[in-house]
Amino acid sequence: MGYSADDLAALVREDRVHRSVYTDPAIFELELDRIFGRAWLFVGHESQVPNPGDYVTTTLGRQPVVMARGWDGLVRVLYNRCAHRGAKVLTEERGNARQFRCSYHGWAFHPDGTLAGLPLPEDYPASFDLSDPAYAMMPMRHASYRGFVFATQSAAAPDLETHLGQARIGFDEVCDRAPAGTIEFAGGCHRYEYAGNWKHQMENLADTYHPIACHESTVKKDGYQFQRRTGEAGGQAKFFDQSGKPLVPLLGVWAFANGHNSEASLPFHEEQTGEVFMRYRALLVTKHGEARTREILKPKRHNLSVYPTMDIIVLQNAVRVIRPLAVDRTEVKVYPMRLMGAPGEIFADHIRFLNQTHSASSFIQSDDVESFRRCQEGLLAEGPEWSVVARGVGREASDQAGVRFGERSSEIGQRNQHAAWVKYMTGAAVSWEPAPL
Amino acid sequence: MTTIADVERFIVREVRLLDERRFEDWMALFDDDGYYWAPAALDQKDPHDHVSLFFDDKKIMATRIERLRHPRIHIQTPPSRTVHLVGNVEIEEVDAERGECLAGCAFIMLEYRPGHDQRTFGGRYQYRLRRRGESFAIAWKRANLINCDGTFPALAVPF
Repeated sequence: MGYSADDLAALVREDRVHRSVYTDPAIFELELDRIFGRAWLFVGHESQVPNPGDYVTTTLGRQPVVMARGWDGLVRVLYNRCAHRGAKVLTEERGNARQFRCSYHGWAFHPDGTLAGLPLPEDYPASFDLSDPAYAMMPMRHASYRGFVFATQSAAAPDLETHLGQARIGFDEVCDRAPAGTIEFAGGCHRYEYAGNWKHQMENLADTYHPIACHESTVKKDGYQFQRRTGEAGGQAKFFDQSGKPLVPLLGVWAFANGHNSEASLPFHEEQTGEVFMRYRALLVTKHGEARTREILKPKRHNLSVYPTMDIIVLQNAVRVIRPLAVDRTEVKVYPMRLMGAPGEIFADHIRFLNQTHSASSFIQSDDVESFRRCQEGLLAEGPEWSVVARGVGREASDQAGVRFGERSSEIGQRNQHAAWVKYMTGAAVSWEPAPL
Repeated sequence: MTTIADVERFIVREVRLLDERRFEDWMALFDDDGYYWAPAALDQKDPHDHVSLFFDDKKIMATRIERLRHPRIHIQTPPSRTVHLVGNVEIEEVDAERGECLAGCAFIMLEYRPGHDQRTFGGRYQYRLRRRGESFAIAWKRANLINCDGTFPALAVPF
């Protein structure tokens, strides 16, 4: 069926969402146009293309794209498509090439997208100007924040920093943990997929309510989860206190403008220790002093999700990227980040813990994706119409910067995403959306 | 003297323990410093500087198996049924002095969970085996999937 803006707006109320938002292929196609075709989407990190000619390819919504570093040292995002007859130019996931050469007729492009040459140019009429940008690999509008590169198909979207708003803090906090003040994408990425809508994963990233049930199998009898943070001590989050009372749902969630969210840190009741950790800590103290170092290392947030496709897993020094494949199929990649300037063992620890938490075989993620699949199957039931996100309605607090906080196991984050969904899909804001600055 | 028949007998039993979900018995085949590794990149050199599908030392293996026994592990409700087929067994290297050998074989694993499509995994195992009387202890087992760098629906049981 066709959906008017009013029809779409009627699918979302403050405390509930209609099941068709997850199950109707027609809505999914509209999302590809209006959300993934308009929003700033995370492409990659500049460290993935350190040298001229380096490139990585990916897909943003429906768009095949390449992020490449030109001979001028600048990183660009180009549509990965030959200007001649439309063939995808680069098929490898990453690589380095002096020229990006199309396999079909041999048109070749510089890494900045401009046409470098083609076979038999004399067969074009004299009036045909091959230096016209129409015969280059077309650039996408792109921008970066602290090395994280985003692109959008929209000329009308506000600039990237405005889009990120206060959510920039998640990028800043991760980069500040590196003694050199910057991070690098290194060590490949985990990849998993599930038979469910992309929004199940996004909503899960602002859900402090689910771990006690969904992740029960990861918690030991003493109430602690397995170790997931570097150091001899302080690596295990406490899920239940001695009386069996759950602690994780007490965390709370911050909601930023434009659908971005952040979960508060899991309860780590001990300081991290260990020789390697102390060596790393000393490097931060040298750079920042003791007080600032303590602030940098304090567990503040578990993650920060950037609507609609990105998640900085602050606790694990990783970035998750969500790619919608179909209304009921989603692919997720999880990239570890190296804290530049930190001892090598710190990165090895991140890799080790990330295998346990975010690989396809992870102890945690696998139970989430099983739940996403069950949501997808259950939402096909046509009797009940709504998915309910009412926890903490009316109990949000707002700070001076316009960031709202939902205490305890509030579903403010899901409501915040649904508000962004309505805005992208209909062009109109909803009443409960946090006001952008 | 280690023969191909010795190695094959050991590997056939090792994968049968997985098929029978005798995970604790399977873990006992690994030496104290042993590990199970399924790389996520072709020819991956090192499990410490690149992500892996599995990289379980005995401590992580114990956590994994404890979770596999948990009544509310949702990704194994219902549990996987698997069958492994191994063949083309070779002894690639013998270190008689240390009583160790490097062995390899091809494998196929079928996995079925009620309500899901059956899945097929395949590739090559490599083992570093240490002589223990008539049998072996595993110093490491490496499962090199032909699609190790692909995207997987959730995995729960070792290959």
